[in-house]
Amino acid sequence: MPVKIDYKGCIGCKKCYDLCPLDVFSWDEVIGMPVVAYDEECWHCGICWMECPKRAIDITYPASNW
Amino acid sequence: MNLNKAADKILETDVLVVGGGMAGCPAAVKAREDGLKVTLIEKANTARSGSAGVGMDHYPVGLMDYMSPREFLANWDNIKRETDLVTDWADPTRCYRLYTHQLWSINELERIGVPMRWNDGELRPTPGHGTGTPLLRVHWLNVKPTLATAMRNRKVEVLERTMVIDLLTKNGAVVGATAINTRTGEFIVIKAKAIIIATGSLGRCYSPSTPTPWKYKFLYHYCPASMSGDGWAAAFRAGVEMVNMDYTDIGILISDELSISFGNLVMNEGILPKIFSWDGQELPIKGMPRPLEYAELEKAGRDPIYYSIEHLPDDFQKRVEVCMADERPVSLKMAQDRGFNPRSHRYVNMTNRPFLFRTPAGINTDGYFKSTVTGLYAIGDATNGGHSCVNAACGGLLVGNDIVDFVKKAEDTEIDKAQVEAQKEIALAPLYVKDGTEPMELECAIRYICDRYVGLFRSEGKLREGMRRLGTLKRVFIPKLMAKNPHYLMRCLEVRNILDMAEVHIEACMERKETRGDCLRLDYPVKAPSLDGKLQFQKFENGKLVSCMRKLTPLNIEIGG
Repeated sequence: MPVKIDYKGCIGCKKCYDLCPLDVFSWDEVIGMPVVAYDEECWHCGICWMECPKRAIDITYPASNW
Repeated sequence: MNLNKAADKILETDVLVVGGGMAGCPAAVKAREDGLKVTLIEKANTARSGSAGVGMDHYPVGLMDYMSPREFLANWDNIKRETDLVTDWADPTRCYRLYTHQLWSINELERIGVPMRWNDGELRPTPGHGTGTPLLRVHWLNVKPTLATAMRNRKVEVLERTMVIDLLTKNGAVVGATAINTRTGEFIVIKAKAIIIATGSLGRCYSPSTPTPWKYKFLYHYCPASMSGDGWAAAFRAGVEMVNMDYTDIGILISDELSISFGNLVMNEGILPKIFSWDGQELPIKGMPRPLEYAELEKAGRDPIYYSIEHLPDDFQKRVEVCMADERPVSLKMAQDRGFNPRSHRYVNMTNRPFLFRTPAGINTDGYFKSTVTGLYAIGDATNGGHSCVNAACGGLLVGNDIVDFVKKAEDTEIDKAQVEAQKEIALAPLYVKDGTEPMELECAIRYICDRYVGLFRSEGKLREGMRRLGTLKRVFIPKLMAKNPHYLMRCLEVRNILDMAEVHIEACMERKETRGDCLRLDYPVKAPSLDGKLQFQKFENGKLVSCMRKLTPLNIEIGG
């Protein structure tokens, strides 16, 4: 998966959910945290990673790009 | 008019801006400052959408002295080299206006809160792209949040996560648009006196450069994956004329992360990288090889071609890092994750295959960014020659200024309910299809056709087969598209747009029976002198795709004195 959320670090600020240009995240009202709902649509722009105030999102490149 | 049953939400505005990127936001701000009611719809979130959503490190302004129109014409070649204008391929009056308003645009952006100055409080021009293009280095990591705030402060009505479906017309003029909220599925009708298309170009009818398990457009620079030609397709279906739709650019690989964007390239700091073939021989090429040059290198067994910055001064690594911090900081993380050291590693630069539509392609507009449909404007990469943040922002500001006169004179018209209902039926159909086709399956099929039957090296037989196959896809698979929620409905609407534009693309390639620039026809390998100075136009008329070749309107030297 290109995007991983560290749920221990996540504070539920919604930035990733609000800002992702491809709308990869959905919002889980029960836990009050984001969910990677459409991971296959991520294009690795890194906006979630750079906007996350807790750096609770990691982003990795696919093997074919190494 | 009773639209209440047809629409979940009905809005009325003076100006509708479609797309909130580097062109759309300045246009909305300017039109609002001029006292108009402005609504902007954006498929993502204006704070981080479009090409500059990940930040931007350069504003490729010409920074040349003012010239009269006559001097401008006399210096055509020089200006082409030293600015980002594409004067051969776009309305010369519009190019002239963009050129003479570049410095004005710096002041205007600064006035609305966009930082234009370097750490020392001065403008920081650099020699630029390596081809002599001067540009302004800027710290623009947060340019989009800044523009989003500027719109909010001026009470521009912004609808985020809202995608345009189609334009509404009456007697050959635009009167509004239909749109959908891609999270809630809310169907929206917006009545507008004028519409500005600012949705950029189209990048998704060709495959990404590296096979990845991920679906969307990835690994090409300056091409946000969201660019599915939504504005182009909606305008085209409304009868607008498209221009130069056979112009695609060649793929720049970002596999080694330094070349993730022109903005991050060392060229931005005015120092050229060296270009080597795999066997370590330096190539006498500036910038990057064009398709024919590249094909020769491939044929001679000298591919891949590498960029190298090993020879650069000691402080250079630091300067490249500043570029990356200003534009797409994730680049630096990726480079670090992979242990990539630009001082000791060379990086593969490009691949010889097409990707997005090039700057000469887009909606045909005149000196005032007006399209061939009354009330419909196009700015930024949505129009030909409007690409790059300077032309996008400057064009947006100019249109935001000019549009006041049009809006004040525009008559109040009614929206045709039947038109709304027809657009709604087509757009929402995938929500009711079961056991159908997922949008990505169709998108991959379109990409395959464009890769296989168009590509860079084109010929009649391949193009005809490609067109035939696209026709089959349209007939068989568009009615089968299924969407289990509004998110996938957005993808279905995108793929419909991509398919419409791919058809225009192949038609344009077939019409060009010559080789010109990077438009290569293997079966017509030389320039046709009869087509000198002519551009290619396509539009949708009475249910048919109509093409023609004609010359541009000459520079109107009344403009600007």
